[in-house]
Amino acid sequence: MDKHATFSNTWLATALIIPQLLLVFVFFYWPTAEAVYWAFTLEQPFGGSNQWVGMQNFQTVFNDSKYWNSVIVSIIFALATTALSLIISLGLALLVDRRLPGHQLFSFAYFIPYAMAAPAAGLAFRFIFAPSAGFMAAINEWYPNLWNPATNGSHALLLIILCQSWQSIGYNFVFFLAALQSIPRTLTEAGAMDGASVLRRMADIQIPLVAPTLFFLIIINLTDSFVNSFGIVDITTHGGPARATDLMVYKIYFDGFKAQDYSLAAAESIVLMLLVIALTFFQFRFVERRVHYN
Amino acid sequence: MIERTPILNLVSQAILCIAFVAILSPFYIVFAAASHDFVTVNKVPMPLLPGGHLWENLSEVWVKANFGQAMRNSLISAVAVTVGKISLASISAFSIVFFNYRARMLVFWLIFITLMLPLEVRIVPTYAVAANVLSPLKSMLSFLGLSITLPEWNLLNTYPGLVLPLIATATGTFLYRQFFMTIPNELAEAAKMDGAGPIRFFWQILMPLSKSNMAALAAIMFVYSWNQYLWPLLVVTDQQNYATATMQLQKLVPSGQAEPPVWNTAMAANLIVLLPPALVSILLQRFIVRGLISTEK
Amino acid sequence: MTNFSFSKLAFATLLLGTTSAHAADKIKFDFWYGNTGKIGEVVQKHCDLFNASQDKYQAVCTGQGGYDKAEQNTIAAYRAKHQPTVVQIYDAGTVNFMLSGAVIPAVQFAKNNGIEVDWASYFGGIKNYYATSKGEMWSFPYNSSTAVMYWNKDAWAKIGKTEAPKTWNEYEADLKAMKEKGVACGVAYDYDTWMNLEQFSAANDLPIATMNNGYDGLGAELVFNKTAFVDHMKKYKEWTDLGYAKLQTEALGKDIDQSFGEGACASIIESIADYKTFKQTATTFKWGVTMIPLLDGVSRKNTLVGGASLWVMQGKSKEEYEAAAAFLKYVTSPETGQKYIVENTGYIPVRADGLDLLNKAKFYEDPNNAGREVAIQSLTASNGTPVTRGVRLGNFTSIRKALRSELEAAFAGQKDMQVAIDDAVKQGNDILRRYEQTFKGSQLP
Repeated sequence: MDKHATFSNTWLATALIIPQLLLVFVFFYWPTAEAVYWAFTLEQPFGGSNQWVGMQNFQTVFNDSKYWNSVIVSIIFALATTALSLIISLGLALLVDRRLPGHQLFSFAYFIPYAMAAPAAGLAFRFIFAPSAGFMAAINEWYPNLWNPATNGSHALLLIILCQSWQSIGYNFVFFLAALQSIPRTLTEAGAMDGASVLRRMADIQIPLVAPTLFFLIIINLTDSFVNSFGIVDITTHGGPARATDLMVYKIYFDGFKAQDYSLAAAESIVLMLLVIALTFFQFRFVERRVHYN
Repeated sequence: MIERTPILNLVSQAILCIAFVAILSPFYIVFAAASHDFVTVNKVPMPLLPGGHLWENLSEVWVKANFGQAMRNSLISAVAVTVGKISLASISAFSIVFFNYRARMLVFWLIFITLMLPLEVRIVPTYAVAANVLSPLKSMLSFLGLSITLPEWNLLNTYPGLVLPLIATATGTFLYRQFFMTIPNELAEAAKMDGAGPIRFFWQILMPLSKSNMAALAAIMFVYSWNQYLWPLLVVTDQQNYATATMQLQKLVPSGQAEPPVWNTAMAANLIVLLPPALVSILLQRFIVRGLISTEK
Repeated sequence: MTNFSFSKLAFATLLLGTTSAHAADKIKFDFWYGNTGKIGEVVQKHCDLFNASQDKYQAVCTGQGGYDKAEQNTIAAYRAKHQPTVVQIYDAGTVNFMLSGAVIPAVQFAKNNGIEVDWASYFGGIKNYYATSKGEMWSFPYNSSTAVMYWNKDAWAKIGKTEAPKTWNEYEADLKAMKEKGVACGVAYDYDTWMNLEQFSAANDLPIATMNNGYDGLGAELVFNKTAFVDHMKKYKEWTDLGYAKLQTEALGKDIDQSFGEGACASIIESIADYKTFKQTATTFKWGVTMIPLLDGVSRKNTLVGGASLWVMQGKSKEEYEAAAAFLKYVTSPETGQKYIVENTGYIPVRADGLDLLNKAKFYEDPNNAGREVAIQSLTASNGTPVTRGVRLGNFTSIRKALRSELEAAFAGQKDMQVAIDDAVKQGNDILRRYEQTFKGSQLP
């Protein structure tokens, strides 16, 4: 990326970056630093007193076999939702980009899931996936217990994967479509002149050209499914049955937000943060090399 | 299109239609729920055909939740977040990508890491900052041994309080970085050769080029900000004047404990709350999708 | 910056839009509540009524969108010194607030501000829950409930019975008989520990933890893996396998309330606060309310209170406390407080004076309220034995979750019931030790 760095006016560069850094510092790093401090202490909810306990909170986290379970569940969840949502939304964006009749209606409709507030989505999912009522009930009529997220852990995990993917399709779709639309028509048309079929052109021209966006979305989706997925769990499964959907971030949310064990939640957050940073760093280092920027 | 591919077109249309149904079905269920009365909405399974109470539910919640005022507040803060976010994100990404200074990777990661910790986890200390924005500065000064009395700058019950913390995230900067990286290098070089300074290059070349991306980001940010409820709940105690639409919606959602689950009105409220983001996205789609206006290049 | 100037502009437009300033000379104070939905509206209206009832004070009432959020936001606000004067906190938050050092105990607040309260007239099951081990009440009970059994009279009529079962054994016999008569689901249950563990243990006088369920100190240890609770859960599992009972949770699309309301399951154990819901949903059959069943040969003890109470926070001005005192008096008095709540929700009166007033108005004789008095009988079935005062355990929210997860494993057949409950107790004790360490040097009042 160095080759882009055309300008060398450091003063201007600093002036451009300062507002963002200032906001991030005040509203993220400062509060987060306090939370990090809590990870090494035992913090009382109302802030009465706090004692330094060194690594005790981390030991509590790592000695808990249930925590390792939630690490595995989180990784499965993140990979599955990211793959599912990106494949579907890229496919849809490619098709909409062909501008067949009705494409404007579709492109509007596919964004709507993102606009729906969480409680409404939760209610809708309850209805659709409920084994004893609604849509899935009919399937259970034929094959009893084919679908039972209340007792079967894998079903519950699949349920939250589907919900999260559904919610992020709108987000991914909008960015994919924007990226596809900024590819000059002349490029694809040239491909067509050379006799490349529609599918060929998608694979050889369009997808490589949206690679920077794809990379952006992979990172955002992965981070999001690690970091922001507690809502969907809270609405649907509460981490159950028997911790089958106990994502790391849901555990953090529960321990910190609902149970007011700020220190434990802080320690768990640091572990999660390091995991996600490592993961994204790896991607910047190795995956981004394969992305063609221009 | 320049070629005839009838079978492929048919398959494409079929896939688009199936996805259309699958993606909108939850939305339809919300709509159906909003059109029933209390007893019907609680039937298992709930009837899928819409009932006749939509208008009644809509007008009931409109008054009850004071949506007139709340929608205005949401609109103000969502527009402010969108505008603020796009301005900040574009200039910070510009700085990171097009300027040559040593700390730029570090700066990028500093911004980027903010994606990794949700608000719920740091809500207590974040609130403390919002109650007095100068408190970090104050603490740092006192750490240095300086005791200067600073005024208290309180963001509770203000629009900046609703807006600023939401701008302090990395999505936009990251997106712009990705986009700027695709800009051919020669473009910047050429601009430089022509004697254009960085600001002119940014304004006259980069901005027009990033129109679709900007529209996409604007749609996303508008919705993101519109659907926030945890932070507004905390920052706003003067709900007469500063309540946002999603906050009001949240108050209508049954908690499942000890109360009749009036999902019909809650879903009606949801339809109302959903409308502005939907409209905004329709409007912005025009910028994202090369419209019929611009002829095929 | 763009957003700054924009918000200034927006602010100006807003100012033009607002007209009223009539409340300016009133003494204002903040009240935060957790209820949402219908009950949230009832609380908000309660504030409006108070504000309309006099012209000296104004309660600024803010719904926080949930009990958990109300507690969390109060803590955040207290730490930033912007706490409300009065806040509604659910039962599970009681320990945190007692240990917080951030509240003014109700008894003391009443004394300071000249509210006359006959503390003894609070019903036993309610009073003890919000009182210290010495019996001093620290918060004002507001919306109170307890667990009762709702039963489908039509289903029981099929086996020729007109009365609900009084013991678990009788219940089992009834379920068996109903199954034979073709009732597909005799009882619906979920993993809620409030019903299954806490209320069950109280009614049967079983301990949940040592040191009188934690009232005597933070060193308490869980013991519910050694009580009849284990057999009780085994029974539910057995009933499920035999087809008498059915698990109904949200993840299944139908919770226990819905399955009872639509007549799919013939009985449930649920909060009395849901009474109003059933009045609206369970319209196709006759149903009744009765106290939860007992184990054989046990004399009934009081069940525990659910719902929430009002706490007064420290650090506010004298005027605000004066206003808050007027508000608290208003919302707890028989006429303007308890009667209002009882009439508009499924909750119960919290004091004898409230009940007297309702009885005078023949409230419980109205068929629309028939059976609601059962909850008061259940709460006052005894005067509070050492283990039926309540549950005073640190981070009880996490203990409940641990138990719930283990029960899910046991009911799914992944674990033996005893092993699962043993594991829950072990995890729970770790949670308690951690809490004790966090509050090292603090004493439960």
